[in-house]
Amino acid sequence: MLMPGPTNSRSKCCRCEQKVFMTRKRSLVSVVDDDESVRESLPDLLREFGFEVRAFSSAEEFLTSDCVDQTKCLILDIGLPGMTGPELQQELKNRRQEMPIIFITAQRDETICSRVLEQGATACLFKPFSDTALSDAVNAALE
Amino acid sequence: MDILNRWAHPLAVEPRPERTESGDDLSARFKRADALNFQLIVESIPALVAVLTPTGQVEALNQPVLDYTGKSFEELTGWANTDVVHPDDMAPTIQSLRKAMESGDAYELESRHRRADGVYRWFHVRGFPLKDTDGRILRWCFLLTDIDDRKRAEAQLAGEKRLLEMVASGCALTDVLTALCKFVEDTSADCHCGVYLIDWSGPKFRIGAVPSLPSTFNDPCEGLTVSLDVGPCGVAALTKTQVIVEDFESDPLFQSCAIRPLSLAHGFRSQWSTPIFARDGRVMGTFAIFQTNPASPTQVQQDLIAQVTHIASIAIERALSEAALKRSEAFLAEAQHLSRIGSFAWRVATNEITWSEELYRIFEFDPHVRITLELTGTRIHPEDLTLFHDLIERATSSASDFQYEHRLLMPDHSIKYLHGIAHGTRNEDGELEFIGAVQDVTNRRLSEEALGKARAELAHVTRVMSLGALTASIAHEVNQPLSGIITNANTCLRMLAANPPNIDGARETARRTIRDGDRAAAVITRLRSLFSKKDTTIESVDLNEATREVIALSLNELQRNRVTLRSEFADNLPPVAGDRVQLQQVILNLIRNASDAMSGVDDRSRELLIRTELDGGGQVRVSVQDAGVGFDPQVMDRLFDSFFTTKNDGMGIGLSVSRSIIASHQGRLWATPNEGPGATFSFSIPFARDV
Repeated sequence: MLMPGPTNSRSKCCRCEQKVFMTRKRSLVSVVDDDESVRESLPDLLREFGFEVRAFSSAEEFLTSDCVDQTKCLILDIGLPGMTGPELQQELKNRRQEMPIIFITAQRDETICSRVLEQGATACLFKPFSDTALSDAVNAALE
Repeated sequence: MDILNRWAHPLAVEPRPERTESGDDLSARFKRADALNFQLIVESIPALVAVLTPTGQVEALNQPVLDYTGKSFEELTGWANTDVVHPDDMAPTIQSLRKAMESGDAYELESRHRRADGVYRWFHVRGFPLKDTDGRILRWCFLLTDIDDRKRAEAQLAGEKRLLEMVASGCALTDVLTALCKFVEDTSADCHCGVYLIDWSGPKFRIGAVPSLPSTFNDPCEGLTVSLDVGPCGVAALTKTQVIVEDFESDPLFQSCAIRPLSLAHGFRSQWSTPIFARDGRVMGTFAIFQTNPASPTQVQQDLIAQVTHIASIAIERALSEAALKRSEAFLAEAQHLSRIGSFAWRVATNEITWSEELYRIFEFDPHVRITLELTGTRIHPEDLTLFHDLIERATSSASDFQYEHRLLMPDHSIKYLHGIAHGTRNEDGELEFIGAVQDVTNRRLSEEALGKARAELAHVTRVMSLGALTASIAHEVNQPLSGIITNANTCLRMLAANPPNIDGARETARRTIRDGDRAAAVITRLRSLFSKKDTTIESVDLNEATREVIALSLNELQRNRVTLRSEFADNLPPVAGDRVQLQQVILNLIRNASDAMSGVDDRSRELLIRTELDGGGQVRVSVQDAGVGFDPQVMDRLFDSFFTTKNDGMGIGLSVSRSIIASHQGRLWATPNEGPGATFSFSIPFARDV
């Protein structure tokens, strides 16, 4: 299994991750999903992969956080209440804060999926997805 | 004596030979006296009398004969070579005489005889033999009675009868009027007749009939304005009185009329114009008689004119009303043609069928063929024949009004859709008669079918779409917890596999796995409750009535699918407790299924039987029997699964929903294959005990 290597540049804003920062330089992966069980389970798995993880319940919450610049990979639910996943993708593009995005969705909708991939997303995973599918996608995103 | 002289051969002068031989002078004297008496009697008879010898020689003629013919006795002895008998009647006269002389029998004959002024008059001629006591013929005696007046009246009557027959048999007006003119011309010698019709919108004269007048006379007359200045006919029409012009040359009233120069140029000196009245007193035309000699009508001629103008009036009025009738018939025919509606009358007892022109056109039958039920049957679509015969049978037995829809299969294999309505009545004899209208609804039906097909497709798409949407929503609801379960389980495994194993973390993720599993289960429960959500109203339901309502709703569709529906309802069926609408949905569903199952059946009648009955164990049973494709007994258990269907295009949801509805009524829904073709679907539910 591919593990993420230490990043060269240290993020300025990671005051909150003092402990992690001090022990090891780890890439920050942000998860945005309105489903609580996803926000609970996914960060645990990603941490098992060795990433730094932050979870947000909405696009707005993520945008107003201080993690946008540091996020090396965004795992983004498509069907969010309020600003949707694809809208957040566009918003980031507008703000010139592009980052690799892995979309996840419980709705098996190929058209939306291919549209977001066209817009530059790294991958689109249908829930439920396997751990390998997830790690492949994250590693691809960080390459 | 003059009288005796005219008896050129007194009867007694030629005694029978045997008597002479006997020398019986006394007898001869008596005979002479008899002869004299006879002679006196004959002379005093006002009729014409001729006496001939047994061999046919003219022996004696009475004075009236000589007066009438204007000929002498000597001239008349050779009558057969003269014109005293009309040339056309001479041969029959001679023949009859010869035959009578051979047979010795009296005879009668009608023939024309020339009067001194050259006019032939009709006579009734009676010839009879004078015989002696031994039966031998002594003389032939002829009695001629003038029957000319009677004959003329007869001829006139026959002529009038012929004209009236022409009118009654619907001859063209021109033909009738032409015959009428000819009749008058034949009856009254040396005259020309014309009938002039009046078009009051002009007002103008139109020539009705002028059979013997030259076109040089007729052409200028056509279209002449009806006015007092135009001539006798104009005056007659406007004053409504007969106008007699004895002589145009001298008549002061018509010196400047328009017709005078034309008449005189054609040699017509006199003109008699008589108005032809309609029954309501309007003048419809004039009847004119033109003569080359100045004349005024005799009483006989006046009678004739009165008679023919009366006939002309009948003929013209009839022609006008017929034209009006034809016009309104044409309107009706045109309306029928435009709306593609034909009409018919059917007298059941005699099987007499009358069709309108348009109905012939719809059926594409020659308008001259006699319409019978059998002939009609040849056009009915084979699949609809049973329906058609049922209809006929029901109509004749119940005598009630009926409505129907069926198809025609035309010789070119095209199909027509007909919609008919018939009203049953009893005529004055109490015989049943149907009067109805039939509309060709092919275009409407085809567009309806197209519409129905589009609708069905839309319904199917909608159903599939809503099912798709439902599946997506189910997937979404279930995928979320599933996603959590799998992620947690993966994390758990990783934590356990770490060195050292993260036991606390693993325990936490395992706990979350269970929680997400519960959540997924809750989603399923929620979905199920959403599907089974219903607002049922329990009430007392009469299944007979409920079924009847459903039948009423489905009849049109069934008829369109050419399904014959029969129902057998049990009397005194106890009510059941339940949701009326839901139960009706089940019945409707079963009827539709039955109808659908028969949609491919063409080799037998598509019969559907709905039955209600008391079932054992306090239950009411409703069964729907079809003659359709039936089902394989092996799949019987699966029939009621959601999504199971034997139909090519069905969704198979109906039966499973039906079964769950019946189950919620503590009832049972099942299917059995028929003995013959098709299947029977039945349900039974307990009847209400305390409602």
